[in-house]
Amino acid sequence: MIREGSINIPFLYAAGKAGSEFLVALRDRQQLLGSHCPACARTVAPARAFCPGCGGEEMPSVDIGPGAALVSWTDVPGRGVFALVRPDGADNAMLHKLLGPAEGLRPGSRLRAVFADERQGHITDIEGFEILGEGS
Amino acid sequence: MRPVAIIGTGQTDHARRRDDVSQPELVREAASRALTDAGLRPADLDAVVIANMELFEGRAMPELWVGEGAFANGKPCMKVATGGTSGTSSCIAGFHQAASGLFDVVLVVGFEKHSEGHTQTGMALTDPFWDRAVASGALGNFALSISQYMAERGVTEEQAARVAVKSRRNAARNPHAHLKDADATVDDVLNSKLLAHPVRLMDMCPQSDGAAAIVVASADRARELCPRPAWVKAAATRHEQPYIGDIERRLLTMRTLKDASRSVYAAAGITEPLQQFDVAEIYEPVTYAELAWYEILGFCPEGEAGRLIEDGVTEMGGELPVNPSGGVLSANPVGATGVIRMAEAASQILGRAGAHQVEGAETALVTGYGVYAWADAAILGSAA
Ligand SMILES: [Zn+2]
Repeated sequence: MIREGSINIPFLYAAGKAGSEFLVALRDRQQLLGSHCPACARTVAPARAFCPGCGGEEMPSVDIGPGAALVSWTDVPGRGVFALVRPDGADNAMLHKLLGPAEGLRPGSRLRAVFADERQGHITDIEGFEILGEGS
Repeated sequence: MRPVAIIGTGQTDHARRRDDVSQPELVREAASRALTDAGLRPADLDAVVIANMELFEGRAMPELWVGEGAFANGKPCMKVATGGTSGTSSCIAGFHQAASGLFDVVLVVGFEKHSEGHTQTGMALTDPFWDRAVASGALGNFALSISQYMAERGVTEEQAARVAVKSRRNAARNPHAHLKDADATVDDVLNSKLLAHPVRLMDMCPQSDGAAAIVVASADRARELCPRPAWVKAAATRHEQPYIGDIERRLLTMRTLKDASRSVYAAAGITEPLQQFDVAEIYEPVTYAELAWYEILGFCPEGEAGRLIEDGVTEMGGELPVNPSGGVLSANPVGATGVIRMAEAASQILGRAGAHQVEGAETALVTGYGVYAWADAAILGSAA
């Protein structure tokens, strides 16, 4: 015997202090926000409350992007091109979509964040990253 | 800490669907087989550790339902859930329980019944803010890292396909494997459906229903009960920051696996892994990961993993057979998968691996991989 059914799970997650600041900057200023760790001399994006390198909590926000460099990508049939992109001014990468075909992409290809007209404080306020051309 | 050993193993025959059994019954199959292999009765067990990723089946607290399948009634019982490493981490927890003197005989059981839930949904329920809305699921994350790995290390799709061929061919000699194909070819892999460039269907592990168990014993009990125990020489686990964009160069660096492996190498005196290990059971969720792990684990210098697979170094009969069982590519009931790696390596040392036995195996490497967030490594040996 097999019993079939489905579960619908409501949720309500808090973005937290740094995450909220990042999402508000996206919505109100069309600006990507990173967090800078003075101890590691590294900036990470999206903004966050503690440093992934040293665990430190002194992480002042800094504006980064909208230009970015391609790190790695995949082309999923029917779903589009997904990529790890390093916003200018950041030392790590963010996961997002590329707005364009995967042909000719290579590590370092130049990109630029494109923001949605209607923004609501969500990571999808970035529509994706458009492909500008080959980088260095 | 006192020495401990694995004295018995048991596995189900892993398959796409096991509609004939409930989750407790599936767990019982593996647990019973492990007890039989160790020559023990349920009353001989002091404690039970269970590995399972509960959201894959959409059911909370699996130990409540499956515990009695694992002979846990009336005994200390806990669950470990760390993605793909759940199984290896639960084995390591069992090692610690016996090594500390807390218990003498511990049963570790891992299981997953992917057919009963929705694994992609379970995977998508990880990071609610940054990943879920953009691209969720393990496949995308792997595929994302591979283009960078290929560009820097010059690995080709053909070389990755050879890993799949080796896996399915080895699996054909393993009665427990889910996907077996003694006649698989590189062309079969390259012509299989493109999932997420460059990953094709045959590059990827399946979703399986299955369970696996090991019996861990303190040194005294192991010597009493087993003519040739698989001694635990060293074991280590490592955790990593969760955001994929933070992880330094991902497949290229894989700090968790590098640190865990170097920790056990140092503890067990391994300086030349390719020469010193007789067999390895590593957690390779995708063909490209197996190549990356060759480099991370020090089987070859960076950039030479493609040559290693082309030269047959990791085939059965090669210098270091990797995944004689067929590996994760041939069976992946996630909570069980790490236990399968440990059980397979132990069976090689115990001399009970049957048609995929590596003759005279005395030192074995085991690894686990849980997304990018965890890695485990362990070394088993024939000498205490
Ligand atoms: Zn820091």
